[in-house]
Amino acid sequence: MDDSDWEALDGIDPKNTQFPARAKLADEGIVIFRTERGFFGTQRSCPHQQASLMQAILQANGTMIRCSRHNFTFRTADGRPVNCPGFRLRVYAVKEEDGRLLARRSPVL
Amino acid sequence: MSAQSGVQILKGAHVMDPGQGIDRVVDVTIADGKIQAIGASPAVGEMIDFSGCYLSPGWIDIHVHVYGTLGFADPDSIGVYQGVTTYVDAGGAGIDTIDEFAAMMDGRTLTRLYLGAYMRPMGLISLNFIEGDTRTLTSIPIAKWLDYMKQDRDRIRYLKVAALTGYGHGPMKMFKGLAETLRLPLYAHVGEFQLQPGADVAYEIYGVVDAGDIITHLYHGNECGLLDKDGKIMPVIKDAARRGVLFDVGFGGYNFSWSVAEKAVAQDFLPDLISSDLQQFNVVGPAYSLANVMTVCMRLGMSVRDVIERVTVNAARALSLADRGGSLRPGMPADITVFRIEDGDFALSDTQSAIRRTDRRITPLVTFKDGRRIECDVMRCQDERNWLLQIAEDKPPDAVERFSPQQRRFLAALAQELSQVQWDDASVEHLDLDKAIELHLAFRRVRAAVGIPLKPALTAVFDSFLNHPFTMQVGLFLLRRPRDFALARLKEAAERQLQLT
Repeated sequence: MDDSDWEALDGIDPKNTQFPARAKLADEGIVIFRTERGFFGTQRSCPHQQASLMQAILQANGTMIRCSRHNFTFRTADGRPVNCPGFRLRVYAVKEEDGRLLARRSPVL
Repeated sequence: MSAQSGVQILKGAHVMDPGQGIDRVVDVTIADGKIQAIGASPAVGEMIDFSGCYLSPGWIDIHVHVYGTLGFADPDSIGVYQGVTTYVDAGGAGIDTIDEFAAMMDGRTLTRLYLGAYMRPMGLISLNFIEGDTRTLTSIPIAKWLDYMKQDRDRIRYLKVAALTGYGHGPMKMFKGLAETLRLPLYAHVGEFQLQPGADVAYEIYGVVDAGDIITHLYHGNECGLLDKDGKIMPVIKDAARRGVLFDVGFGGYNFSWSVAEKAVAQDFLPDLISSDLQQFNVVGPAYSLANVMTVCMRLGMSVRDVIERVTVNAARALSLADRGGSLRPGMPADITVFRIEDGDFALSDTQSAIRRTDRRITPLVTFKDGRRIECDVMRCQDERNWLLQIAEDKPPDAVERFSPQQRRFLAALAQELSQVQWDDASVEHLDLDKAIELHLAFRRVRAAVGIPLKPALTAVFDSFLNHPFTMQVGLFLLRRPRDFALARLKEAAERQLQLT
């Protein structure tokens, strides 16, 4: 993956921003989450019925994310469904570099 | 909890049994698992003081999901532990999977479980975008239905169907025709399937249903609802109510809107029945419990008596269970719910996250099921292991160590048979029902060849993948596993055990 696939997330300060936080990535609204192991991003709404994932709940040490509307649960590593086959969440890699966050434009496959 | 055969006198509670018109403080005596008397209590017996509490016939939830793709690992967690003594699984199995339902669920719950069989032979499949597809609903093996009802009619309490067509009245008439043939009420879902693109036809059902049929998700806020554009009850729905069609709350995860409910109640359109539609996807909110849904109905203006009537006598009548439930008549099973009205400040969410506040709620305290006392624990259902169906991906569950030689032979043969079947991620994404049926048939062929009974065969499959005892139609279960992983795991479960013997 070349460096050009990473994009700095404007307006997000890894030290002071409260997470989850909304961000823009290549004109798509995404949500950035912080876990003990770092950051990741997701599409802004649940692929099921489009509830906002700002209210989503991280569980199993941040390895799963659960939409608070209907409990649809996805793996944070790749967005694959845990309990809702047929649905997939777009997940974005996010890294901290020089005091700012960068996200990869292509979702994790 | 303990089985109770002696005499117990439940004293001091405000007894509310709308079916008998009882609404006062009076003693209830139970003995040998049955109601013995109301009022005149014997001198001898274990006294239990329920002063300050209400006591009603055991609650009946006519719409839950404890089996299948929506079901729970701990089905009693939404039953007797929440004051519910009887419930109906709303569509988890259809005619081709009722035997799987029976094999996995019979004897598993303290709560009395019935089935509202689904129109589709596979039962509910639980992916929104195909659930209401008429083409998958109108494959109706009538002879098989008739034969089944001759041998096990008591299990089935209604015929569930998604009231969605796209083909006019025709499919609805077929559904009604089967229900009439089987002499069952039709239990028709109107609700979120109407969110499907092009699914703008839900009203046909109202022209087909008769007295005793039930419409569930009465107050849903999706397309094709109760109200017209001016907020008035649709005439077609009023007509159905006048004919004696019953209307059920069926709170669900998508299908209760404060706004719709309040407008309907303002026009005196109240539910005949209150059910929760509890499932994996609403149990940690916003449905939580039948008690919560009853509280929601009280917030709409119904009295305690009103809501108790709807989960006791009304439910028993609708399900033709009045000979065994919904009443404290002497001689009836001692199914009892003891509850309290708690004061406080409580938030009640609808399925669109709109909130109403209330200052009282119904809280179940103690359930008696056939006289057996169970302390309620309304939070028990919230345990993640109860509602999050996770596959043990890293290694087989410990249960594989306990498989019998026959189960191992079965799994080995199943892995071999399934290696002849192709399926992939797309099969699940588009819910390839034909593929699920193919897997279902492969399972059956192998079972017949190995000569293993259904329950150990199903258990061997589930226990090869799951740490917690979820159950569902086995064809769907296999379809939902990545093929390579499924084949490898079945082989591993079979072979590892063979090495141990």
